Amino acid sequence: MIGYVCKYTPVELLEAFGEETVKIEPQVKPHESAHDFTHVNMCSYMKGALEQILEQNLKEIVLVNCCDSIRRLNDILKNKVDFLHIIDLPRKINNETDRLFYRQIELFAKAYGEYKGTRLKTGRLKEIIQSRRKEQIPVEKSLVIMGARFEKNIIKRLEETYGIKTINLTCSGNNRLSDTITENNVLFSYAVALLRSFPCMRMVSDRRAFLQSLPVKGIIYNTIKFCDFYSFEYANLKKTVNTPILKVETDYTDSESGQLMNRIDAFMEMLETKSVSRKTRGKRFFAGIDSGSTSTNAVIIDAEGQIMGYSNVPTGAKAHDSAQKAYNLALKNAGLTKEDISFTVATGYGRISLPFANKITTEISCHGKGAYFLDRKVRTIIDIGGQDSKVIRLDEKGNVLDFAMNDKCSAGTGRFLDFMAKAMEISLEEMSQVILNYHKDIVITSMCTVFAESEVISLIAHNTEVKDIIRGLNRSVATRAVSLLNRIKHTEKYMMTGGVAKNKGVVYEIEQKIGAKLLIPSDPQITGALGAAIFAMESSD
Amino acid sequence: MNAIKSYGNIITKNLSDSKKALAYLKLGLNIAGVYLSLFPDRKVPASLQFLQKICVNSIKDYFNHPDNSMWVNIFSPTEILHAMGVNPLFIEAYSGFLAGISIEGQLIDAAEAAGISNSLCSFHKVFLGSGELNLLKKCKMSITTSMICDGNIGTFRYLSEKYQTPLYILDIPYEYNKENVNYVKNQLQEMIRNIEEIFGRKLDMDRLKEVIARENQSKELLKKYLENLALKNLSTSMTYELYMLFASHVFLGREETLSFYRMLLEDIQRAPDRRGKGIFFIHVPPLFEKNFIKYFNFSPEFSILGFDLNYDFLDEIELRDPLEGIARKLLLNSYNGSFDRKIALIDMLMEKTRPDGVIHFCHFGCKQALGGIYLLQRYFREKNIPFLTLDGDVIDKKNNQEGQTKTRLEAFLEIIRNR
Ligand code: SF4
Ligand code: SF4
Ligand code: SF4
Repeated sequence: MIGYVCKYTPVELLEAFGEETVKIEPQVKPHESAHDFTHVNMCSYMKGALEQILEQNLKEIVLVNCCDSIRRLNDILKNKVDFLHIIDLPRKINNETDRLFYRQIELFAKAYGEYKGTRLKTGRLKEIIQSRRKEQIPVEKSLVIMGARFEKNIIKRLEETYGIKTINLTCSGNNRLSDTITENNVLFSYAVALLRSFPCMRMVSDRRAFLQSLPVKGIIYNTIKFCDFYSFEYANLKKTVNTPILKVETDYTDSESGQLMNRIDAFMEMLETKSVSRKTRGKRFFAGIDSGSTSTNAVIIDAEGQIMGYSNVPTGAKAHDSAQKAYNLALKNAGLTKEDISFTVATGYGRISLPFANKITTEISCHGKGAYFLDRKVRTIIDIGGQDSKVIRLDEKGNVLDFAMNDKCSAGTGRFLDFMAKAMEISLEEMSQVILNYHKDIVITSMCTVFAESEVISLIAHNTEVKDIIRGLNRSVATRAVSLLNRIKHTEKYMMTGGVAKNKGVVYEIEQKIGAKLLIPSDPQITGALGAAIFAMESSD
Repeated sequence: MNAIKSYGNIITKNLSDSKKALAYLKLGLNIAGVYLSLFPDRKVPASLQFLQKICVNSIKDYFNHPDNSMWVNIFSPTEILHAMGVNPLFIEAYSGFLAGISIEGQLIDAAEAAGISNSLCSFHKVFLGSGELNLLKKCKMSITTSMICDGNIGTFRYLSEKYQTPLYILDIPYEYNKENVNYVKNQLQEMIRNIEEIFGRKLDMDRLKEVIARENQSKELLKKYLENLALKNLSTSMTYELYMLFASHVFLGREETLSFYRMLLEDIQRAPDRRGKGIFFIHVPPLFEKNFIKYFNFSPEFSILGFDLNYDFLDEIELRDPLEGIARKLLLNSYNGSFDRKIALIDMLMEKTRPDGVIHFCHFGCKQALGGIYLLQRYFREKNIPFLTLDGDVIDKKNNQEGQTKTRLEAFLEIIRNR
């Protein structure tokens, strides 16, 4: 069995050798052993692939000289597997590169043949290629998947759920043989066909013209952190193409999270109901503003509840100024002016002092509204913000049934974690790790920020591992949240909102404690403002 | 330092009005040019003072004559431009310059707001952001290579489209062999035809040979300079080490670069013997990082011995067929192809400079360098050379954690002191 990573790999050739091939699609898990061999800031596909190769003990690997990450993967795998080969893939497509790529394929066939102690049977290769049919491009409007590799099972689910065809232009697509073999030299025409198959994001070419030849209904643009190829194309498409486009980020660790599916759901809804042009004259828009103690958020939606723009600014000394700032920024992001807004609802601590709001609603109702809008299955909301936390219980219609809030103190909130990160001199990102391989089970007993800080400092002084302390802190916040939860009757599904929802460590620890998954919205901080905007929409009806 | 800060502030205030901001940038550069000739930095030897002038002038020339300039990346074959009298603007250095006046934050935000990934290397993000905010003068053309670093092609394509300037991409294969030399050579020829057409002048092969001859001489001098590093102590800072990238890359082959290397060799031969410990850097040293500045700049206790990027290709280029020579140079660069080549380069540098410790600053977003960190750790363990890796960002100051860096750096220096 030979593992490969790229769609430009000569898979048919390997089959002609009678070898089983496996495309490496890393499974969801932390990349523990990968981190022993490379830096954490490598793209998550590369780390996931490395992890998978080591863990499953794959002994034969063929790579393609795709990117910096894959080149380094090749360097790291030396002496760790029995057969390792990297195929150089040109970035230009012309007669000269046809020949160069053919040489590469030939060299690979030779190297693999030597390793196996056999030779390539071109007759067999021809048979295999001829048995493959060129994949047909669907005629009906389809969802085009672009960007970095996208997991196949998610695509399958998309097709099933929405009854839509997809065209996968990412590394995981298999639209490979662009032309049937005509020439006498089978290997040569095979190499040319491979090189000239649907271009991926790495090939030097402008894919916009190519896109126009496809029946595109919408584009899902997948991104992977630390991948350098996608963002330029995405930025260009966003500016120049008039097709709805959704950018998602998957990272081979939690790609199946509810968050991703939620966003895709919302996008699919939009594709059904919205015309291609974003702004139609005479359309009505609504604003919601959540003036919290640490951050102020604003959301603008249209009459269909589509988010047009939003913003998130830190709350300054004057709540009113920050609210104005957030509102203006959200308008700007939506490409609208305040004249376009029909109705505004304000919520949050600073709500009383906002003169431009038409109506005021509590943050509890707004959070409930926002969360329910994001996912109708939500029954319990855990919101942990900068300075306060609350839990809310909803009925099946989204009405608030019950709620609980913490006392006036920053224990167990975002600010608590900020403080501790500072005390430990680590970044918030480091603070938000899921830690599975801890050494000591540290329990932070003090809940008060001041005492907890001295506790942490003494742990550091006793050479306790930073990881263990982080885990201890995240667990203490989780404990606090769960004790708040236990004050109401809580049931599935759970959604977590507020800034702390971005802390994966806390999320993980809460999930462990309640034995259920938490849904995390893509931007958990704006849930309250979103709810306010929906109230605004309903109020003006 | 404060003058620079307030200069940065003026530009920051005017970022929304790109014309004004550009005018201030240009003015500042012109003043800096004059200033440096009147008040050179006395802390460093004459060669480095001269180098600093070359660098500032190159950016100044771009601002004054954008229509005779080209945006290029660090590995671009600028020999051809020098032979044709075209001024290269070396984009990574331009980003460093903008970070030097502390406006990188706004530029990075602008790039990210346009949809550019936040995990892209900041050398590219800053340049893209300056494009987004119209802080660039439109060039006649730009060139980049595909080798070593993924960010280049995307960055150049994006900005060439935005500014509507022709771009030539040189695709450099992974391996060195005859076919690939031909492939690169053919591209060089095509590129030259494009330049000739766009600039309306012809490349004179004899002038190209002169450029290459000077490049070869410069390399000889550089190698001799390298021989002195183990024993001598040249008063220098991280900034000057980075300025050397102008000499070792985009400005190689020019008359003044050759003069610089002559002066540099004289300066090091004249320099006092090194008394303190020697530190070698791998990848780019963080020139704005406070702890690094404190411990290494002009320090007699921990001398900067240099960094590997200045030595990525030391061979002679054949004069017989200059384009083939350049193609070879590109393919054989120590960072192109497998990581073994980089390790071989570092091994040679270790032997020549004999450092007491080596520091690899893991620049955020640079996967070509970070991906090999484990292989380097293994190498240094075998060689028994103290090796420290630190995470951070060379130009995006907000990605740095001063406290953490301090603790680790000091602990490492402690070990070296005691060895
Ligand atoms: S980006 Fe292109 S070259 Fe790279 S792995 Fe994907 S399909 Fe292959
Ligand atoms: S996701 Fe991007 S960086 Fe990672 S392996 Fe694929 S192309 Fe390379
Ligand atoms: S630091 Fe790395 S990623 Fe950034 S420009 Fe240099 S080589 Fe490229």
